Amino acid sequence: MCCFLKTIIRLIIYILLIWNGAVYAQKTIDEADNKSIVASVTDWVATTGMLDTFQLQGFANQAFISTSDNDVFGNSDKGGSFGFTEVGLNASMRPLPRLQLSAQGLYRRAGKGSSANPRLDFAFADYRLYSHETNQFGMRVGRLKNPFGFYNETRDVAFTRPSILLPQSIYFDRTRNLGLSSDAIHLYADSSQSNLGSFSVIFGIGNPIVDDRDTEAAIVGLGRTGNLTSNVSYIGRGIYETNDGRIRLAVSGSSTKVDYKPGGIDDLLGSGSVRFSPILFSAQYNTERWSLTSEYALRFFTIKDFNPSEFSNRDFVGESFYFQGEYRFNQKWEALLRYDVLFADRSDRKGKRLARSTGLPAHTQFAKDLTVGLRWNVTPKIMIRAEYHRINGTGWLSRLDNPDILDTSKNWNLFAAQLSYRF
Amino acid sequence: MIHPDVKEESVSANLLRAIFSMRVKNWPNGMLIKVFVLADEDHLHHDFSKDKLNVFPYQLRQVWDRLVFSGTGQAPTKVSSSDEMLVKVVNTPGAVGYIETAYINDNIHILQIK
Repeated sequence: MCCFLKTIIRLIIYILLIWNGAVYAQKTIDEADNKSIVASVTDWVATTGMLDTFQLQGFANQAFISTSDNDVFGNSDKGGSFGFTEVGLNASMRPLPRLQLSAQGLYRRAGKGSSANPRLDFAFADYRLYSHETNQFGMRVGRLKNPFGFYNETRDVAFTRPSILLPQSIYFDRTRNLGLSSDAIHLYADSSQSNLGSFSVIFGIGNPIVDDRDTEAAIVGLGRTGNLTSNVSYIGRGIYETNDGRIRLAVSGSSTKVDYKPGGIDDLLGSGSVRFSPILFSAQYNTERWSLTSEYALRFFTIKDFNPSEFSNRDFVGESFYFQGEYRFNQKWEALLRYDVLFADRSDRKGKRLARSTGLPAHTQFAKDLTVGLRWNVTPKIMIRAEYHRINGTGWLSRLDNPDILDTSKNWNLFAAQLSYRF
Repeated sequence: MIHPDVKEESVSANLLRAIFSMRVKNWPNGMLIKVFVLADEDHLHHDFSKDKLNVFPYQLRQVWDRLVFSGTGQAPTKVSSSDEMLVKVVNTPGAVGYIETAYINDNIHILQIK
């Protein structure tokens, strides 16, 4: 199914390119019968303004993280760590009025869960099938960021985040790849009405990327020899915004099934599957100085077909939410206050049932994070940030960075500072 | 103000906001729209955003950053002064920008906001 989808995506890109190329070539040739082919091609490049539309952007973020206990992105509880680095390079162009090509490469170093190798974050073609006044309809094919909530698509760009660490209850860094980008096809529609506001809807079908070790550890535990493979997954989001952008409301949903194939006869886990279907409600209120944001998620899990003596096959629902206030003193200084809550299983919010049945600490099943932060826009290109988290629970802590669960602390705090540059 | 080739006399406030939010990419005649803006902290940019588009400059910045870093759109071209704005808009087919009334002369095509 994965290969099938990739073939379809390639085919669609070729058809779009050839079709457009033909239309433009025909136009140019009609207009200039006596010109040579070379002149026609030059004309084509010139008339479409292809090179004028090329844009290159980038960013680099370096953070320092220090924790009282537990490790976040490196050995953070032994005096702090500089283990969190993000560097991105982004290019786009519009070879045709209706076609945009975009790609972004990303280098991310963040504890043992992130491979610290440059990777292709996204690369796709966006074609406008219909455009009239303020109504647009189009299609995107390639490797795409998953449209989920307010922050997922740009989560590695510090300038677009409200804080150094996004609210972990919803934007997990532990299983980030599962939610990050997919080889997919998206259909989108935008419409803005002068009396009502604007609506935008995206629906996508594709294959998420799950072959990193952190996602594996979070889903099937540490030290497994087998592999995870993803099936076709679905994603959708609708956003409503008033015309002045004061109020933004969104609903996002996705459904992904991941299969586990055992590594060999010695892999006691056997094969099995995990279906993960989150739904997320988002709301934001903006004034000149304030932005108030809240998101609420229910995460539905179905785990089945695993060897029951090794792994518990069950259905459960995780729950997450946060409330966040950002205050802009002026163009240079902003403050943040946020309360972020995660329950791994909403029918076992305190983790007592899990503690009784497995002997694992109850605090692995929740996390309540109170965050205060300060942002200083030194120049339009340079930003410095600092934040302090008071955390109760280890629900979103990375298992790779903290392999001994029994050695983790329930109450802990985290201080982070970050320097960011963009161009 | 716009480049003369665009051949539009007026535009609704709603369409103008969609253009400066970089969501609408083509003029009604199909020509690619080229948006020029001053820096985020510029007073004219601030007034234009608030009075003509009815959004705050930080909201526009967030919209552009989301488009650029998700690959779903492009950022407007930043110019450093009103003089540069004038030169760019007059010489770039499909261009739209804004300028103080003191700069207006006969060579400039003004787009009316309905």
